[in-house]
Amino acid sequence: MIAYAVRRLVFALTLVFLVSSAGLMLVGLAPGDVTDELFATGVSAETIARERARLGLDRPLVEQYAAWLGRVSRLDLGTSLRYQRPVRDLLAERIGFTATLGAAALLLATAIGLPLGVLAGSRRGWLPRIVRATSITVLSVPPLISALLFALLAARTGWFPVSGFTPAPAGAGWLAAASNLAWHLTLPTLALALPFAATIERLQADATVSALGEPHILAARGRGMSDARLVWRHSLKPALRPVAAIYGIVIGTLFSGSFAVEFVSGWPGLGRLMYDALTSRDIYLAAGCAAAGSLFLAVGTIVSDVALASLDPRLRRQSS
Amino acid sequence: MAAGSLVLDGPDRPGTPPAAPARGGELVASYRSEPVSFNRHLASRAADDLFSRLTQGRLVRRHRITNEIEPRLAESWALADDGLTYTLALRRNVRFSDGEPFTSADVLFSFRAVYDDATNSQLAGELKIGGAPLDVSAPDDHTVVIRFPSPFGPGLRILDGLPILPRHKLEAALDEGRLREMWGTSTPPSELAGLGPFVLAEYTPGQRLVFARNQNFWARDAAGVQLPYLDRLVVETVPEQNVEMLRLESGQLDLTTDEARPEDVAAFRRAAEAGRLQLVDVGIAIDPNLMWINLRPDLKASDSKRAWLQSEDFRRAISHAVDRDVFVNTVYLGAAEPIFGPVTPSYGIWYTPDLPVYAFDRTRAGSLLNGLGLADATGDGVLEDRSAAPVRFSLITQKGNNVRERSAAVIQDQLRQVGIVVDVVGLDQGAVFQRFSTGDYDAIFFGVDITDPDPALMAEFWLSSGAFHFWNPGQATPATEWEARIDDLMRRHVTSLDLDERRDLFAEAQRILAEHVPVLYFAAPHVYVAVSPRVANATPAVTKPQVLWNAEVLAVKGGG
Amino acid sequence: MTRTFGRLLLVLVTLAAAAAPALAPHAPSRQFPDHLNAPPMRVRLVDAEDRWHAPFVYPWRLVDRLASQYQEDRSRRVPVRWLTGGRLWSADPDAGPLLLLGADRLGRDVFSRLLYGARASVGVALLGTLGALLIGALVGGLAGYAGGLTDDVAMQIADFVLLLPAVYVVLALRAALPLVLDAGDLFLLLTALFAFVGWPMAARGVRAIVATERRREYAEAARSLGAGHARLLLRHLLPAARGFLAVQATLLVPAFILAEATLSFVGLGFGEPTPSWGTMLREAGSNVRDLAVFPWLLSPAAGIVGVALAVHLGTAGRTSTQLIGAARHDR
Repeated sequence: MIAYAVRRLVFALTLVFLVSSAGLMLVGLAPGDVTDELFATGVSAETIARERARLGLDRPLVEQYAAWLGRVSRLDLGTSLRYQRPVRDLLAERIGFTATLGAAALLLATAIGLPLGVLAGSRRGWLPRIVRATSITVLSVPPLISALLFALLAARTGWFPVSGFTPAPAGAGWLAAASNLAWHLTLPTLALALPFAATIERLQADATVSALGEPHILAARGRGMSDARLVWRHSLKPALRPVAAIYGIVIGTLFSGSFAVEFVSGWPGLGRLMYDALTSRDIYLAAGCAAAGSLFLAVGTIVSDVALASLDPRLRRQSS
Repeated sequence: MAAGSLVLDGPDRPGTPPAAPARGGELVASYRSEPVSFNRHLASRAADDLFSRLTQGRLVRRHRITNEIEPRLAESWALADDGLTYTLALRRNVRFSDGEPFTSADVLFSFRAVYDDATNSQLAGELKIGGAPLDVSAPDDHTVVIRFPSPFGPGLRILDGLPILPRHKLEAALDEGRLREMWGTSTPPSELAGLGPFVLAEYTPGQRLVFARNQNFWARDAAGVQLPYLDRLVVETVPEQNVEMLRLESGQLDLTTDEARPEDVAAFRRAAEAGRLQLVDVGIAIDPNLMWINLRPDLKASDSKRAWLQSEDFRRAISHAVDRDVFVNTVYLGAAEPIFGPVTPSYGIWYTPDLPVYAFDRTRAGSLLNGLGLADATGDGVLEDRSAAPVRFSLITQKGNNVRERSAAVIQDQLRQVGIVVDVVGLDQGAVFQRFSTGDYDAIFFGVDITDPDPALMAEFWLSSGAFHFWNPGQATPATEWEARIDDLMRRHVTSLDLDERRDLFAEAQRILAEHVPVLYFAAPHVYVAVSPRVANATPAVTKPQVLWNAEVLAVKGGG
Repeated sequence: MTRTFGRLLLVLVTLAAAAAPALAPHAPSRQFPDHLNAPPMRVRLVDAEDRWHAPFVYPWRLVDRLASQYQEDRSRRVPVRWLTGGRLWSADPDAGPLLLLGADRLGRDVFSRLLYGARASVGVALLGTLGALLIGALVGGLAGYAGGLTDDVAMQIADFVLLLPAVYVVLALRAALPLVLDAGDLFLLLTALFAFVGWPMAARGVRAIVATERRREYAEAARSLGAGHARLLLRHLLPAARGFLAVQATLLVPAFILAEATLSFVGLGFGEPTPSWGTMLREAGSNVRDLAVFPWLLSPAAGIVGVALAVHLGTAGRTSTQLIGAARHDR
């Protein structure tokens, strides 16, 4: 078991490294560089040229990458070309917010999606149909639009803040701080969580149907066991396996998909930072953001593999 | 809807004179993105410039409505007979926000920072004349002598862009060549000092900047009350424009640093009638978008395509083919003026009405195109050139910018009706710049921010050697005789100190540009500024930052 | 029954998309400058004075351009023209456009754009999904079957592809491609891109299912009877993942339609004048207040729901109703 965990960890770290390298190279290969936006603000051509030389942008990309590798080996993520500040600091300022939003959305999505999926997969009649139709509708609306519609709702009703995050006044106590956070977090969490809840619901519904079709379940039903017992006591564990298998992916895409929601709701997380890094071709910041995003997924896949192993003893034997 | 210099004062009973602004209170503004650095030499975007203007002082300031320069840290100035030397008398008894006295040494230091090689300041370009720095000296603590390397029409206007920095905080770093490392966004507010109306009280990355009154600010109003009126100014970061407008409408913001979009104006108007907003039409923008065709000699195209794409008649035909009224109605919902050149009525004295233009006339467009040998031989509604290739070119524009994308779509639709096929390619900003600088494009639809209408400060656009001479930048010698004529006119315009002479020279340059249309303009939007009813004493202008340019006189209605 | 319905719906959508040039009243890029954000027109048979006519619409009269407000002009009727100019139904352009689902921000007929857009969006999404599922099933199946190092490596690759921000990839890709992409080439490119981006999730799920199934009695039995690896995988194990793949399809199709809009943000998407559902939604989202006032701008979302529903119904396996019913009958 230990060897398995160690191996997974090594793989995860390799993955983070590969993804951030790819992030750097891909953004570096894109046309233009970080000095381009200076042009629109009227900075003179010679200043721009000197800036490019100073930032080392006139060297070939491979050379810049090699220099970056050297820094990374010393755990130095480099300096953001655009902000002229350490990448590590920029990430640290935002990562907590993204993590909070992601965790809240994950919890909400799972809390809504899993039970609804089990219900939809085990019942008949109008309930599963409504759930299914709702899920498919939710999946068809882009998160950008749902976030905007929530913002519109907030503006019209005043029940929630339209965007941004204003911390509770200093010295307000943890309860006030927590409720302030929750109040600001509600709409962004909803906007982010709903499509994932729908995804989880759809997957769980199908998994439940499959699990309920297993021979031993059918046999138990034949013996007269009640539906509720069948669903919740005997087939739940196997029914959760397929979702557990991709849960890590859900975690990962949730965190990286939080960008659009963060953008609209002004949530001060990594999303906006990553977008700016991309559009301004800040290769070191882009690599850092890619690393941060992949870190979430790496953790998520480990979590999901462990969860899967715990739900299916046969896999544990296979992998150790 | 009043124009220009209206002082916004919140809902008032009609007939009552505006009360004197009350001191105190807080206003909340929004910004789409936050400063990249607190060091103006390293960053020039709108947010960075706003930060600089709120916290740092300047010797003179360009009044955004009258476009005249007004004294700030320099109380008065005189130009010597040589036409090159200005002697400025500095205001006395002025202190920085941290209490240190302001002297001419700070001015000298600020100039040093601009011209310092190690710093590579982004302000260097606009403070050099013909590539040469200004010669600045200080005979005493309260006098500064600035000698221009050559006669310069705009004169001291360029000092509007020079922040006066505290020598006592930064000189050591400059001496060691480390000025670039100073005043990044992680700098604690207590480390910053300035002569501006506000000081940075708090910075939360990704969220907001909080500015507090600079207790040592030098300016007072006519009644002797010390400015700024506001206790606090909060600038929130709101990345999404929809959300920004919603927050303004619902009262969660007092003002934005973006003008209202045409589709917001109707809703804002209704809100203004209900007293929930103040809405002003400030005038016509001075930086309209433009389209230009690649006239560089290294254009990658077949000879037959180059023959018509780079011809002047083709550009004239385009100008004739596009119905600018449809353009105005479609892109701006009618809230814009059709224009044919870069100089709009908001340019004041520089605006030349009644220039000869190529107005909407599809027949004329057709005959010009036929004259180029372009005709629809195959009868499919698309013109073909002499080598039987279709008349088709690509128009690059900025993805994500709604106005530019819509404009390109309208141009495409209009030109299709005279048989020209336009492929609109939306690219992100970096890719657009890249294609422009390498010359790898057919045509581009884009725009740059302009803050000062003085044409001498836009020499890079007019001069054939300029970097912003979009259609063929950086020419060693003028490629055409009319560009040579414009070069000559503009050189004389820049070095003349006689306003009338400058105006006539510039009018002639505009006439030549209008005749040869290397750049095509279609519409200039009306600029609408919306603020909450709490905002008092605002004088919104056409250029950014529309309301915050004189933040020291902003107040809260009723005292906040 | 539901499966047939779903498949029928898909066929209908495909046919409608293919026949767009005939079914759409107008060219999708045709701008009607005095009809920006105009509401849908109702096709009527009876006029205000209760007289019967051939199908017609009342044109819109612009009341307030800045607010995009319109009023029905009851003074004249615009008859629907049938089978003119290669189109099933349209209206005389001089009399007025036929706006069955209203017009968008640039005054273009939403219904026509919906039909033409279906070709691009639905086509790319369906084919991309097919590709993603095929690759995912193969990779996941092999990984789950072989186990050990193959499994690890395959899942690592899957994770890597998953983590790679697609937008970064597209940005770099755009630089390498020619400026103006032929619509057909773009279609293939996007299909390939979606298949590339979509397979990891499918692979992970299939891998888990195959790994579990491999240990079942019937699989062991088949092995002992001499079934080859390939036969075992393809005939016995992969079909167990059918349900999962069907759900994946329902998830991927709408996601891909929407993804095209995000990709177009960095320049790799269907450009003007080719419409697509993704970009129609993105344009609609450019002003959120417009969505509340001009809800017909959200019709592509309804279209996406329809297609996703069709895919779901068309690929449905046994429903729980059937299972529970079957169990009841087995006694």
